[in-house]
Amino acid sequence: MEALFVNLAAVLSGWLTSLGLSPIWADTVLLFVKWIIVITIITLNIIILIWLERKVSAFFQERLGPNRLGPFGIFQTIADAIKLLTKEDIVPSAADKLIFKTAPMFFIVVAVMLYTVIPMGQGMEVINLNIGLLFFISIGSLSTIALLMAGWGSNNKWSLMGAVRSVAQMVSYEIPLAFSLLGVVMISGSLNLQDIVAAQGKLWFIILQPIAFITYFIAATAELNRGPFDMPEAEQELTGGAYTEYTGMRWALFFLAEYTNLVAVSALMATVFLGGWQGPWLPSWLWIIIKTYGVILVFFWVKWTFPRIRMDHLMSFSWKVLVPVSLGNILLTGAGIYFCRWMGWC
Amino acid sequence: MNGQGLIKGLGITFKHFFQKEITEQYPDVMPQLAPRFRGCLQFEFEKCIACGICVNSCPNNVLSFETEKDENSKKKKLLSYTIDFQHCMFCNLCAEGCPKQCIYFDHNFELSSFKREDIKMVYLRPAEMDMREEESTNGQEQQESKEQKQIDAMQKALQKNPGKVLSKILEQEEDIIILSELMQSDEKTAGKIAELMVKDKEKAAKVAAGFVNKAKKNRAKTETAGEGGDAND
Repeated sequence: MEALFVNLAAVLSGWLTSLGLSPIWADTVLLFVKWIIVITIITLNIIILIWLERKVSAFFQERLGPNRLGPFGIFQTIADAIKLLTKEDIVPSAADKLIFKTAPMFFIVVAVMLYTVIPMGQGMEVINLNIGLLFFISIGSLSTIALLMAGWGSNNKWSLMGAVRSVAQMVSYEIPLAFSLLGVVMISGSLNLQDIVAAQGKLWFIILQPIAFITYFIAATAELNRGPFDMPEAEQELTGGAYTEYTGMRWALFFLAEYTNLVAVSALMATVFLGGWQGPWLPSWLWIIIKTYGVILVFFWVKWTFPRIRMDHLMSFSWKVLVPVSLGNILLTGAGIYFCRWMGWC
Repeated sequence: MNGQGLIKGLGITFKHFFQKEITEQYPDVMPQLAPRFRGCLQFEFEKCIACGICVNSCPNNVLSFETEKDENSKKKKLLSYTIDFQHCMFCNLCAEGCPKQCIYFDHNFELSSFKREDIKMVYLRPAEMDMREEESTNGQEQQESKEQKQIDAMQKALQKNPGKVLSKILEQEEDIIILSELMQSDEKTAGKIAELMVKDKEKAAKVAAGFVNKAKKNRAKTETAGEGGDAND
């Protein structure tokens, strides 16, 4: 079971080379297959996650949640997806049409790109990039542009307001996000996510870097535009923020991308702080799923507990609290490493 | 310490996560209604005395009724009662005011209908109620009162002209005179004979004959006693 997917990939690539394809072409075909698998995982995850979020939020509020379609309402998301697919696609006449139309595509592409570096098991990643963590952070911050495109292209004051908020928020929280991961990088000595996982063989980084974990969690919540930091959407204030003018499948793409980002960030959190795919008894690819879903449930828990905070509080919290704390964490980690070396522990 | 409230809040939602859902699954499971829940107005036609308190107390003119004056008993007779439920605001004033508790709210709250007219509830006088009334009031009380009237009339006739009336039950003139004398002295016998004459003439004749015989015997006794007395003299 452990090497099930790795062996399948080896069999496939062996079969492709035996057909007479050159190794480069075989790798390309394999990459294409991996891409399809990633898309499948994302789609499956979204179907489960939307249902799960509705169900979990219902339980937090002592409601029942969707319970009509299928057992426990599990087919509700599928029905919703069909509804969204059949809805009319409206493009406002005053919109900047090219930007308006490309924004959701850009958003989902950026979200899918995050999955290239996440180790989904032992030796299971699309590309084993030696700067994986840096790639993840930089690609993750690209989604700001997609939201800005959506807000600008819609030619709507609420959309633009949402976009401006999202840019301010995401750029501000990018800094503590990167800084909090720096402590982990300093300890493991690598930006490769597989190396970071391997460095947690004895002790998870959540124990070594608890401050970094908390600051990363807060910054990630803001990066994901999730509650209590969902200022760019802010249904009650901005009627949907940057998504105001979007309908049908275009809107659904934004929704899809948000959940895709959620899974990616949660998977990264599980990889960096919770020991990645390592765990006893179960195969590695099951462990990463379990850990990712655990983190996602915590995200849900936080979202359905706290009210949305004010925009200026959000900004000042980032610059006045999170940035100094994460910088202090780096200092502390550096000092700790030198102390360990001086004592001869590592 | 800063952030304590956040942890407290997370604890509260965590606790609520495992608590029982309070959602009412209404069409599948009927809700538990409080005993004084105000659902649909109900009206009991037979209890109503048409006093009009409900109609006067209703703030939205939901209620209205039609009455007719009963010729025999001179009472108000309810013909129809209308509840135009679409305007009802469930204030319960009608039910509170009703002295007979014939208008009240029940627990039925599924009041939707396809047409506006269907909301209006019209209660017509049930036919069986009229029939029962004929049996009860016309059949017994009215008959009794009729008889009473006849008896009264007979009594008057007996007082006015006893000979003519009594000739119907008694044949001999001597007997008639005896009985009329007896009735004039005692009203009870007059009442009894009048009643019997209305109800059963044969029985009246027998009773009258009995009275006459008794009177004759009494007279004979007094006569013999008088004769004896005379003899003693």
